[in-house]
Amino acid sequence: MKYLLLIYEDESVYGPDKAGDAMNQVVAGHMALSQSLGAKRLAGAGLQNTPTATTVRTGRGGVQTIHDGPFAETKEQLGGFYMVDAEDLDEAIAIARKIPVYHEGAVEIRPLLGEGQRKAG
Amino acid sequence: MDCALDRAVRQAAARVISALAARFRDLDLAEDAFSEACLSAARAWPSEGVPTDPTAWLYRAAYRRALDDLRRRNVRVRFKPDPPPPEPTVEDGLADEARLIPDERLRLIFICCHPAIAPESRAALTLRLVCGLAAREIATAFLVPEATLLQRLTRAKRKIAAAGVPFAVPGPAEWSERLDAVLSTLEIAYSKAHEDAAAVGPHAGFADEVLRLTDSLAAMLPEEGEVLALAALVRYAEARRPSRLDGAGAMVPLSEQDPALWRRPLIEAGDRFLYRARNLGEPGPRALLAAIHGVWCARRSLQDPPPWPVVLELYDAMLAQRDDVIVRLNRAVALAEVRSAQAALAEVEALAAPQMEAFQSWHAVRADLLRRVGRIEESRDAYRRAIELAAGPGERAWLAARRP
Repeated sequence: MKYLLLIYEDESVYGPDKAGDAMNQVVAGHMALSQSLGAKRLAGAGLQNTPTATTVRTGRGGVQTIHDGPFAETKEQLGGFYMVDAEDLDEAIAIARKIPVYHEGAVEIRPLLGEGQRKAG
Repeated sequence: MDCALDRAVRQAAARVISALAARFRDLDLAEDAFSEACLSAARAWPSEGVPTDPTAWLYRAAYRRALDDLRRRNVRVRFKPDPPPPEPTVEDGLADEARLIPDERLRLIFICCHPAIAPESRAALTLRLVCGLAAREIATAFLVPEATLLQRLTRAKRKIAAAGVPFAVPGPAEWSERLDAVLSTLEIAYSKAHEDAAAVGPHAGFADEVLRLTDSLAAMLPEEGEVLALAALVRYAEARRPSRLDGAGAMVPLSEQDPALWRRPLIEAGDRFLYRARNLGEPGPRALLAAIHGVWCARRSLQDPPPWPVVLELYDAMLAQRDDVIVRLNRAVALAEVRSAQAALAEVEALAAPQMEAFQSWHAVRADLLRRVGRIEESRDAYRRAIELAAGPGERAWLAARRP
């Protein structure tokens, strides 16, 4: 069986850019875990903080709208995921729009850590 | 010199920051580089003299600074910049500024108005980056504290950089999604220019800018009624500029402005835009507002009766679309003329709320109505508050003259 393990934490402990002592500590932990998992680890990545999130909502009648911020309803449940390599946010949104939902739903788009973070400060 | 520098910086800001942001795909870099260029100008110009083309000078200096900053960052850069512009030469005076600096303002407006940016931040970001408004001015326009606004700007810029919002002109399919934010932004930019009736302040150039941008936008989106309506609206408003101040520099209210002074070609251009907007179906809020301005601009002389009844009807139609305090306030002004000052005052008093305390027009309208119903003491207080908050000397003078 393949499983998806989703990590939930209070992101504020890592600071706005997910850099610093707390981040270094947890990354070391992830590296150790990944090593011990060996071939059992298929993929994994950290996500940038929720202020970088964009949500594509599909409402009644298939009307799609784009919102700043993460998915924040409780009516729907996580049902799947895609990890894509897109040129920019517009391409990611275009792909998210094509993800089929049967009725109503939302697709949250989150850039991975290390992507788009071109600024060294 | 300080004055020349100040003026040059204000004139160049939007143009240079947009061009740099579009080229380097980095808003902070563009802003920082422009600030540095202004500092260089402050050092160099007093001894070397003001260059013939200050905007071109600032653009070159900022461009070099941006390249330096990028090299210093020493990170993988995902774009290939064009070769740096040549060093300034004696022939610079002859150089064509428009050719040197690509005009990216419209493009940057669409980027700032990306739907992945929080709606309340889109116009603010555009006004800051494309129009060069100070955070304090934008905060006043949106009726929010300055600290809140600064936070929104920072967050929006971070989102653009971190989430990978592309620095590209969106395809036509995406225009309409971003349009409302784009139009609100242009409205606020224009209102800054409009406040300054004498066109002597720092935002005087905005008026021509907005005329130009609405024209480009209407050419891009000829089937969008609200775009055409805004293009009409700013033309009607600009047409009346010569009549908005009296000989002593005091504001003249719309109903007393002399139509003989109005710029007919702008009114005719406004009529053409509005006519096209009307043919596209049900009028939106901007089409209704443009229609109100159009009705006033149809007046040929002060002997023609003011069109208050039609104006009131149009405000009623606007209110049916969107319940908004500013619409209610403007409607009350028409109501006072059509029905009674008493009825209008009741409407205005009903709008009282903490956020209205800092809203100049509310005090000004209320002060006038209180005077007309004979509540003189309260009227005096309201006038005092309206005068304190007035944006320009013309309005202050007019209010002071009417204060009982």
